[in-house]
Amino acid sequence: MIDPDADLVRSAGAGDQRAAEALVRRHLPKMVGVARRMLSDSAEAEDVAQEVFLRVWREAPRWKPGQAKFETWMHRVALNLCYDRLRRRREKTDPDAGIAVADTRPLASDEWLARQRAAKVHMALAALPERQRAAIALVHFDEMSNIAAAEILEISVEALESLLARGRRALKAALADVAQDLMGGAEGGS
Amino acid sequence: MTKKEESMDRERFANLLDAYGADFRRWPAQMRAEAAVFAAQNAEAAALVAEAHRFDAVLDSARDDSPVSHDLAARILAGAPRAQRPAFDRRALLALAACAVFGVVIGYGGGMLAPAPAEDDSYFSMAFEAPSAFEDEG
Repeated sequence: MIDPDADLVRSAGAGDQRAAEALVRRHLPKMVGVARRMLSDSAEAEDVAQEVFLRVWREAPRWKPGQAKFETWMHRVALNLCYDRLRRRREKTDPDAGIAVADTRPLASDEWLARQRAAKVHMALAALPERQRAAIALVHFDEMSNIAAAEILEISVEALESLLARGRRALKAALADVAQDLMGGAEGGS
Repeated sequence: MTKKEESMDRERFANLLDAYGADFRRWPAQMRAEAAVFAAQNAEAAALVAEAHRFDAVLDSARDDSPVSHDLAARILAGAPRAQRPAFDRRALLALAACAVFGVVIGYGGGMLAPAPAEDDSYFSMAFEAPSAFEDEG
């Protein structure tokens, strides 16, 4: 297995700042992206991404290419950090804590509608079981291949397909009104 | 490749559509071409794809690709490993320490090897005590 990050990780671990910058350029947006889908909170997602890289810097000096690619390992770290945060959220009483809610300030009607839709989708995603949400985040939003996503989640491709299908079916049911709204066309706006 | 993946039928197509959505680029690589042909030749499959497209659009309305905070990368890089001081420095320090030890050893050892002071220092005292003898001879 060829790991496209192996050389960069080795160099960054030895203190090469350019290699560290290249790793950040290559992976920071992905780490923030997957954490955003999982947590529906940009600030928290950036905290997760920063924590992922703290672990990268700690592991890089002793990183040895093994069974998983470095990027796969990074995604697993990011998802585990997200699971931890979601678990802590559940322990709190407010079930909507950290979930993006549409801004109530006056906005142009299209923008207001778009924010409302996005907030509903975020809430529906947040209501999914973590593994289904992670599968949809990786395959739909991050457009990862089924093989890469299954490897990150440490499951078979068949199990990934099952997670995806169940997650999408649950979302469809929860978001039927949003779908109707979108089909209604932009001109109606209701 | 399993038998299930070899042939495309309505059930398999619908299952994959449920999992991956309407964009065949998200489908397993080995199924994409066959899925596109199946959808093109099957009206029911085409209708399912159209429905899945609408649902994908709903999901995409929550897509947040806004850029990350401009200082996040800088904060992350501040924690990256730094190169250690060059090995030369360490060697130079070791050499300096060795020189110091050597100097101490030589100094101490040299002192031990030097001749012991003579017990009879009469030659020394005579050199100062008998100037008159030379004067008399003169």
